[in-house]
This record gives sequence, C-alpha cells and structure tokens, in this order.
Amino acid sequence: MIEFNINDKKVKAGAGWSLLDTARHYGVDIPTLCYHESVAASGACRLCIVELKQGDWSKLVASCIYPVQAGINVYTETKRVQNVRRWIFEMLLSACPASGEIRRMAAKYGVESTRFPIHDPDQTCMVCGLCSRVCEEVVGLSAISTVDRGVHKKVSSPFLRPTDVCVACGSCVSICPTGAMQAIFDSVRGKPTMQLTQLTA
Amino acid sequence: MNNQAKIGVFLCRCGDQIEPLIDLETLNKEIGHQDHVAHCEIFPFPCMKPGIDHISQKAAQKGLNRIIIAGCEGRLMLKKFEKELQLLDLHKEQIDMVNLRGHVAAVSDLGPKEKAAKAGKLIKASIAEMAVLMPTPQSLAHLDGPVMVIGDGIAAFTAARELSRNNINFFLAVETTNPEAVLRNVVRAYPGEREYFERLETIVKEAVENPQATLLPRSRLTALSGVTGNYALTFETEDENLSQKYKAAAIIACLDAQLEPPGPAFGYDGQKVMIQPEMEAYIQQHGTPAGRTIFWLNDYEIDQADFVQLSARSAWNLARHIRRHSKETQAIILHNQLMPIPLSAAERIENRNLGIIWLPYDNAVRPSIQTDFLTFCSLTDHVEHELEWDQVVLSPVRSLAGESLRTARILGLIHREGRFITGHHAKVRPEMVGREETYLAGSARYPCDLHEALNQGQKAGSKTARMLKKAVQGQLYLPRVVCMVDPAKCIGCGQCQELCDCGGIGVDEGPGGGLPRIVDPMVCTGGGTCAAACPYHALVLQNNSNDQREARVAALSRQMAADEIVAIGCVWGGLPAADNAGKQGLQYDPRIHILGVPCVGQIDPCVMARAFLEGAPGLILVGCLPEECHHSFGVDHAWSRVNVLKKLLTLCGFNRQRIALAHADLNKPQEFIKTVESFAQTIALLGPIDRTPLNLDKLQTIYELIKYNTRIRHLLSASLRRPWEKSYRGEQRHALDYDRDFMAVIEEEFLQLRLLRLLQDEKQPLRLQDLAISLREDEIQVADCLWNLVTDGTISLTHQQREAFYSFVN
Repeated sequence: MIEFNINDKKVKAGAGWSLLDTARHYGVDIPTLCYHESVAASGACRLCIVELKQGDWSKLVASCIYPVQAGINVYTETKRVQNVRRWIFEMLLSACPASGEIRRMAAKYGVESTRFPIHDPDQTCMVCGLCSRVCEEVVGLSAISTVDRGVHKKVSSPFLRPTDVCVACGSCVSICPTGAMQAIFDSVRGKPTMQLTQLTA
Repeated sequence: MNNQAKIGVFLCRCGDQIEPLIDLETLNKEIGHQDHVAHCEIFPFPCMKPGIDHISQKAAQKGLNRIIIAGCEGRLMLKKFEKELQLLDLHKEQIDMVNLRGHVAAVSDLGPKEKAAKAGKLIKASIAEMAVLMPTPQSLAHLDGPVMVIGDGIAAFTAARELSRNNINFFLAVETTNPEAVLRNVVRAYPGEREYFERLETIVKEAVENPQATLLPRSRLTALSGVTGNYALTFETEDENLSQKYKAAAIIACLDAQLEPPGPAFGYDGQKVMIQPEMEAYIQQHGTPAGRTIFWLNDYEIDQADFVQLSARSAWNLARHIRRHSKETQAIILHNQLMPIPLSAAERIENRNLGIIWLPYDNAVRPSIQTDFLTFCSLTDHVEHELEWDQVVLSPVRSLAGESLRTARILGLIHREGRFITGHHAKVRPEMVGREETYLAGSARYPCDLHEALNQGQKAGSKTARMLKKAVQGQLYLPRVVCMVDPAKCIGCGQCQELCDCGGIGVDEGPGGGLPRIVDPMVCTGGGTCAAACPYHALVLQNNSNDQREARVAALSRQMAADEIVAIGCVWGGLPAADNAGKQGLQYDPRIHILGVPCVGQIDPCVMARAFLEGAPGLILVGCLPEECHHSFGVDHAWSRVNVLKKLLTLCGFNRQRIALAHADLNKPQEFIKTVESFAQTIALLGPIDRTPLNLDKLQTIYELIKYNTRIRHLLSASLRRPWEKSYRGEQRHALDYDRDFMAVIEEEFLQLRLLRLLQDEKQPLRLQDLAISLREDEIQVADCLWNLVTDGTISLTHQQREAFYSFVN
C-alpha cells in the first residue's frame, strides 16, 4: 500500500492506481471529460488537474494519468487549481459552444461564459479522442480516428467517408462526453439501407 | 467447472449519478438476501482500479463464480471486467452488468425508493439468469497441420508464398503451377497488367519451388467436410478420375471472377469486336494490332457502373502498350461523361505524349455500333458523330461463374444470390467471429486489379499464418458464445443450416439428409437465431442458452405489477437506444423494464410465452432497423415468432396487442422513447391478464405448445426468412394463404394439447360433452380432435352404457 495525502487527509492506494482512482475511491470529486473507465486514460482534456505541493514547490498534473507516489501532498481545490480549471472550462466553452453537457458541467463549477473567441457556434466536439479509443480498445476495430492536425483536427472515418469497418455498435455515441458523436455517427456507419420515418412535431 | 452459482453483486455509486437517485442501501439489503447471492455490497466505482482490485479480492476470498455489476452500460464496460477478472477463471458470460444509471436512475422522476425497487427487479432477473448459467471450460483451438490453398485465382500464389515464408506446410490446388502457363492464363481475369508479369513470375516460382509446398495441379474439389482445424477435402484428378482425400487445418480460397462478353447489342464477335482480355491475348499472340482501336467503356450500359474505373485502367494500360509499340495504331478511349478519368498527373503527361484520346460521350444517348463505324453523341455540340474503327474493345461483364462458382459453393462461401462473394455478411464485433475474411481472396470477392488481388492473397496468407502460430503456441481459444448441437436430440432436418448466415453449421460427411449437424466454433458468430429455430432444442447457444434467457425473462415477469412491461432490446438497436436515452437524461415511462440480448432473433417463442405465463401484462421486443440486422435476419425471425404468439394469444381470447415487435435506431433515442411510451399506453389501457385458473391454464398451454410441439416449431422455422432470400419477411409466399394454413394448424394443435392436459389432470374417463363444456369449445371440433387422438393412440376410447368415454393413455 502506498500512503500519501489528498487535501491533507491520509489515503492508501494500491499498486498501479492513478491519483484519480484514489481520489474517487475516497469520495473526492474531480471533474473529468475525456476520461472513461472502459479505456486507458489519455489526459487530453486536462480538466482533472490537481496540485502537487512539496514545501514552496508545487505543480499541476492531470490526475487521470498521474501514478500515485508515497508521501506526496495532493490538493484538488486550491486557488491555482480552480483558476486553471476555469480557464480550461472557458476554452472548452469557446471550442464547443453547442455542447449542453459541457455547459452544464462548467456551470456546476461556476463558469458560465468565455472570454475566448467562438469560431464555430455549432461545434460540440472537443476532439478528446474517446470515440476512437473505445473503437480500438473495446470494440476491437479502428473505424474512426482523429484526422488532420492542430486546429483542423477532427473526428472522422478515413477519407471522411462511411466505412465498412464500422459495425455500427454505437459504442462511440454512448461514450461521447459532449454529445458530438451523435451527429458524426451517421457519416461513419453510412446511412442504413432502410430508415424509420421521423415525424417532426 | 463448478456449476453451483455463487454470485457476487456489486452496486455502483458512480459519483453522484446513481447513489442519491437510487436508494442503494435498501437495494443492498434486498439483494443480499437472494438465493445464490454470496456477496452484495455498494462500492464507489467498481470499474476503476480500486474497484477491480476489490472485486478480485472478494471473488477470491468468497469463491465467487458469477459477478453482477449494477452500474452502467455493459456494452462499454464488460470487456474491461472480463479482461481483469480472467485471471480468476471468471470468463465472458460469467460476468453480467445491469445498467442502473442509464435504465433506472436518469430516466424518470421517481423517488429513490421506487427506483431502488425497479433496480431490484432488474438485478434479480440477472441473478436468475446467472443461476442457471452452465459455464463451459475455456478450450483451446486445435489448428495444427497444413493449409489448403485452393482455387484458380492468382492470389493463390501470394498466399502460398506468404505461408512458405512463415514455414507453414501447405497444399496448392491450382490449375497449373507452371509459371509460363500461369502468365498465359492470368490475362483471362486481369487484362492490361503486362507490367506486373515479371514480378508475378518470381512470385509464382517462389510459391511453387519450396519444400513447404505440396502441389496438387489439375485437380477438382468435389467435397468438403469437417470444421476449422480439421477439414477433409476430396479432390478428383482430371486425367484418372481418382478421388483423393486431404486433411487441412485451414483453407484459403483464391477465386477470380470470370470476364465474359456483353450481350449481342454491342456487336461482339470475338474477331474485330472483342473484350479486353481477348485484346490482351491477341497482343500476346500477334503483337499490336494495326489501324484504329477504340476502347469503348460500356460499363454503364451493361449495368456495372461500379467497375468502370477498373475497366478504364485496363483499357488505358492496353492503349498505352499499343501506342508504345506501334505509332501507326490509333487508340481512342470512348467513355461515359459520368466517369472521371482515373489517371495520375504523371500518367496524364504520359498519356499526352503517347497521344491516347479520351473521348467522352453524352450519358443520355447510348452509343451504337455499325459496320466500321461507332456512333456517339458529343458533349460539346450534341451532334451524333461517327468514329471509324478497325477494332473495338469492350469492357467485360464481370461475374462469378464456372469453376470459381462451383468451388465457392462447395466451400460454403455463397450465402446469398449475387454476382460476387461479398465476404462475410454478419457485421459484428471482431471477437465474435473466429476468422472472418481470412479465407477469401481474389476478384471473386469484389472486382479488383491484379495488384489488389495479389495483396489480398498475401493478407490471407499472413492472417492464416498468424492464426496457426497462435494455435501452436496455445494462445488461440475457441469463442465461448457459440452454438453446440446435441447429437442425441438432432434429427438432421437441416433447418438451422439453412437459416445460418455465418456458415458455421454443417454435417460431418456428405450432403446432409438426416445426419446430425455439427457447428464450427471458429466460424459461428453466436447469433443464435438457429438455436431458437430448432424444433427439438437440439441446438444450444453455449453460455447464453435459451434456459438462461427464459430464467431471466421469467424472473422479471414474475415481479411485474399490473401495468409494468418487459422490454427486450437487441444490443445493436433497442438496448443502445435505451442506453443513449439515459446518457442524454431523457425521461420516459418508468414502467418499462429493459433487458438486453445480443439479437432479438435469439429469443425462442417459448421465452415470449413464458413472460405472459409468469405474469407480465405486456412484452415488447425492440430490435434494430429492418434489413440492418447484424446477425443474418434475426429481426425478421423475431417478427415471425411474435406473430405466432399473437395468434396464440388471440386463440386464448387475450388481446394480441400484448406482444409487439418494434425497431429502433441506436442514434435516435427520442424515437425509442416514443416506441416504449406508446406501448406502455397500450398496455395501461388493456390492464393485466386476470390470473384465473382458466387463464393460467391457457397460458400454460401456450407455453407448452410453443416449446414442445415439434409440428408448430417445424412450420415456424420453415417459414423464417433464409439468408439468400431478398424479399422482406411476409412477402415470400402468398401471405394470406400461408397465414390461414398456419392458423389452422395452430388451432388444431392447441385444442389437442388442451384436451390432453385436461384428460391427464382428470385421471378418469370423460364424455365428449364434459370435455367440450370444461374447455368451452365447440362440440364438433372437440369430437374431430378426439378422433384424431384416438387414432393416434394417444388417448383411449371405451364405451359404457352406449356412451363414449375418453381417457389418457400413459
């Protein structure tokens, strides 16, 4: 057992646990978006940051990928953490303004507007890559991945076309933390040969 | 393996997403007292590292052999649990999940106590299923021995080369192994690929001249038997008519499509108007032709527009060869305006230098051919111009025919009608299929060029090599959820084999006819509609058996209140739609209780009948979209079964709306909600089925009839849609005639069963009038039915004081 402190409380962690594992086990709330228990953590969204303090020295780490060490002091709600978390929420709000899930989560942490410019008001995807990770690790296929780089990076099937590799299991839709995959899904699996009519109310 | 269930239930708090919404403490107490439950506790996050450590520890400590995690979507989480708990000998299907978060907590505004009650019902149903699970031991796949590379496709040589590079022994059963003859023949299937010939020759030599190869030239495949790892292939040699049997662990089929001339409308004569492979052969024999050669890409006109690019490449390759070798010959490629020209920038430069003309024609006007002239409508001026020709080269019609078709049939690769073998139909997760496409390469699969065909052969070879290596190292396990046949029960009717789309069911020897079937576990996808169709329950889906589903549905139905509904969702349609509705926080009628199954086609009609018998007032099956079923036609089969139940319900005087089939798209949870809400309203209006002795007796009769009556079960499975049938469910025969006949059979069998049950219960001889009155049926019908039973010898007839008495014969 590895002993260390979270918010000045003594905790014990097993081998191979991450900071997030330990914190959640002890009921400490840390927000996450790109983390899902079914796949390996990737530390993409940085929402799960916590502060590691040792004397005057301190650093911010992503708790989902930070392995526990004996004797460290972890703080989840310091001013610095709250401040950076607010920036992250603001950036997420500017990157995916149309996502209700992100808006709700940000509001829970007191962030309701963003100071950053909004380029695409309809955007919901934050390109965390959970969908491609679940496709590879859980389903065992690679029907989708992120394409292009930098600010143009987006989630898609190869060549932006529906792919035969996709078995249309919908794991990506269920795992998507922002609800973006619902719109992308049809462009990946291809249109079903028969569709149910939808009446608009 | 221990079949006595010791179940561990772990209730997930999931942060604040389950705990405050569902009263877990009450639930914990309730579940803890259930039979078979050896351990039950609440845990913050069973899915994270601390949780998994804890579950492993508890499982080892208390010797748990079944685990139920009540938390979220099993579709996403189960694999992780399976992987982590494998070390404790807890395998797939010994771990189950109940989606409390998505199916209970998030989707209604009930109080925590009521939600706990709903959750309890779902968990108890899962416990009931786990209690009857008979887990099979993990068994290794035995794949040791040579690989059979078969077929006259060119891909055979790359597949063989790949195998020899991996030091795997193989048989090579091809038309010829002489490199020169191979090159002569390859033009028949791949015209205009001259550039590859040098490379192809080295490939053929490498494949043929090595110690791993056993060559079987000039032999025809006549029969196949056995399963993966232990195939027996019978060959007949052309010269001597001798039959020879070979054993192989795996088969790679390399088949090429046939290229044939189009119909008479194109003026084909094989001399001056020819198809591309003939032009290639002409060049081989006589050198480049003289005069003006027109390549007419008539793929749009012969209804194969998809392959026009392929024909265009061949035409360009041929034209390029002609122009390079003879400056006098003109080459014109006449193509439909709709077709983009498939040349790269460098090729366009070469094209310009060689002076090959690409001439588009208007799609609206079909070009026509006459002596020495070809008429086409120009795009620029809409005038019908004429082209003078010395040779016209047409695009070939591509199809699967001749020897390739015959071989494909014997190997069981053809499941549906069509021009090509489009690989495997079942669109399921890779872990559900042992091998999938490893067995098929070449243009018979889908028209392709030589490069692609060779590539496919190489891939098939390396995949097979990898599989064999894994098996030799003892790492290749048989899939756990596959069908198994009980040879003692199987009468060899072959219904399952006809219904199976994965090609996993066969006979050990010969064509069939009364022999018990066997299942190839490496091919079976575990769809299970075949098992549900078996009239004798001889086919059992291991680790996911009918008994398990029946137990689960029965346990849930028993707990249903007067207006509560059992819903069964397939994992590709209804279940994910429900999961996603929960995920999005959409609300719907809390009276719906959802169970998940891999495919609604797995649900035997007796399970549906059992739901009503145990007290469910309504049952809805939510499958995927029609024609989108991942396992053959499971949804269509469910349709047929639901309709039999509807008939039986009507026969008993119950409302037939109590059972329904619905379709859901996983990406449209709102629509799923409309479906279940509408059904909930229907059932609320109908109210419960009165549990009077008469009604219970009727429900029991329905259940017994649909479970054990082989006549009805045979008729039902004969009516199910076969994988090769293109028409949708009821369209296969005269719908009404069929329905009436079927109804008549059901009525007859139903009355017979009720009579038998009554006579059996009474234990004393009864008169016709007494029987008719207690069954509340028409006397004449009962008399007919009694007479049938008496002639069968099932019941006996005695006369006392000039009156006929009927009694049951044991």
